[in-house]
Amino acid sequence: MKTLLSVRGLQKVYPNGVTALKGIDLDVYPGEFLVVIGLSGSGKSTLLRCLNRLIDPTAGKIIFKDRQIEKAEGREARKVRRKMGMIFQHFNLIPRQSVLQNVLMGRLGATNPWKSLFHLFAPQDVVKAKSYLELVGIADKADLRADQLSGGQQQRVAIARALAQNPELLLADEPVASLDPATATAVMEYLRKVNKELGITVVCNLHFLSLVREYATRVIALRAGELVFEGNPQDIDETWFKKIYGETARDINVR
Amino acid sequence: MSASSALRRYIFDALFFAYSAALVIYGAMLIFGGDTSQETAIAQMNTILLSLLGLSAVSAAVAVGCAKAHISTLGEVLFASHARRLELGKIGFFKSQWGLHLTATMLLTFLVSVKVTEFSFYELTDAGGIAGALRLYHGLTHANLGLLPTAIAQVVQTIFIAFLATVIAIPPAFVLSFLGARNVMTGNTGFTIYAVTRTVLNIARSVEPLIWALIFTVWVGVGPFAGMLALMIHSLASLAKQFSEIIEDAGPGPIEAIRSTGASPLQVVWFAIVPQTLMPFISFVIYRWDTNLRMATVIGLVGGGGIGTLLIQYQGQAMWPEVGCIIIVIAAAVWVMDVASSYIREALR
Repeated sequence: MKTLLSVRGLQKVYPNGVTALKGIDLDVYPGEFLVVIGLSGSGKSTLLRCLNRLIDPTAGKIIFKDRQIEKAEGREARKVRRKMGMIFQHFNLIPRQSVLQNVLMGRLGATNPWKSLFHLFAPQDVVKAKSYLELVGIADKADLRADQLSGGQQQRVAIARALAQNPELLLADEPVASLDPATATAVMEYLRKVNKELGITVVCNLHFLSLVREYATRVIALRAGELVFEGNPQDIDETWFKKIYGETARDINVR
Repeated sequence: MSASSALRRYIFDALFFAYSAALVIYGAMLIFGGDTSQETAIAQMNTILLSLLGLSAVSAAVAVGCAKAHISTLGEVLFASHARRLELGKIGFFKSQWGLHLTATMLLTFLVSVKVTEFSFYELTDAGGIAGALRLYHGLTHANLGLLPTAIAQVVQTIFIAFLATVIAIPPAFVLSFLGARNVMTGNTGFTIYAVTRTVLNIARSVEPLIWALIFTVWVGVGPFAGMLALMIHSLASLAKQFSEIIEDAGPGPIEAIRSTGASPLQVVWFAIVPQTLMPFISFVIYRWDTNLRMATVIGLVGGGGIGTLLIQYQGQAMWPEVGCIIIVIAAAVWVMDVASSYIREALR
């Protein structure tokens, strides 16, 4: 099967000398829901940010849709990012701006920079933005200020913003880590909907194994910057769990 | 004690001992009629510098000696490890060697300051002096309200000077603030621009508006225009620095999020940073207008126009009832601006 994204020998050493990734090999196939697990500091976030080039990798290759992107700079890097939506643990919406404005920011890369400075988005973009808000079930909140929404609602706006980019890949960096269990499940359901209904490939960092087993189609695990597991979510048994999270860890059931 | 904190202790102690010794010598010269006039000081600059250098060397030796002889010093207390600090804490302040040294030095500094500032209760309680002050006070409390229309006209001019100085300063300050924000100016080129911007702004800001006023009164002539320019330069530098700090406080999350959509650097600034900073910007601008009103009054004293110029004219002629009227008008204007500005800033929060 053809890969959507393929990573070979990816390394990242930060300027302060910390080695976050020690040579990762990874393939992402179209349409899958790939979950990345691992302790905090294992390199999950760095991996995601290398993929959409928010971070420059130190060494290795990243091939996205048959194009090598690990050295992409400036305009070219922005083109790559446009094809990859991203959502974050802390939602990262722009406060004091309306929900609809926040979703429209997903169109910045496709909008003429001078028009965008005056918030002049194409009418079809506005229609699209509203339809994505509908998809995540908060169309009625379009005119509210983003900071007036609850955490779960803010994350749904963030999903709509990512969708507005019309992405082929959605990167989710611990999207439910700062939400309560019930809201977390709801947000995960929307991610599954995006994956199944829109056919957008998802790469998602997660902490809770119960959510991993429920939503992932495939799992990889990082430990201290190395890939230590790759397989089906059902295959992570007690032994693997201790290998990934350390001997003293115990699974916490969030549901 | 680690090597670096030991070194810091020695440097601190050496400087502190040198200061104490220099204080004693200076104090002795003041009391025993040593020549401390400026001319002698300049003539003997080499001797003074040499003896200060020698003093520092001796003090460094004393500092190391204290450490060897286990005499507690202020430097040790400041830079010691946590355990040693607890141990030192058991000895009462006035029983400890460092406590006595610190107390003696503070006391001596106070005494020398009194001598240097020519502090004198005799002058303060001189009958003739007090009578003069009372005459002046009487004039101020019996303000000549006939001057009210003129004073109000002049205070209005001052308010406009402050307003224009603030408004003209905003656009350049806004642009410069992004060049002077570390989180916007990334990379090597960025750092150079950042460093140059910050340095220029710091220099412009460190020159008091009063000095700018002196420069501009020569340049464009005495009057409100010179005052406005002086305030404008100072406002520009201050606002740019404050704006930069607000920008540096902007949450990195939204910046990362907008970058991840494929937005250009300019779009990142406009959509991720500006919305986060707008309210604090406005708040600082209003506060600056309020400050400028008070500063404009002072600048008027050196020929910057407005109510300050009026004040210095009547003060020069010792026309105290008129001065009283002007002071009332200034106080009222400052009070109104102060209340209005804090009310607006509170509402913006």
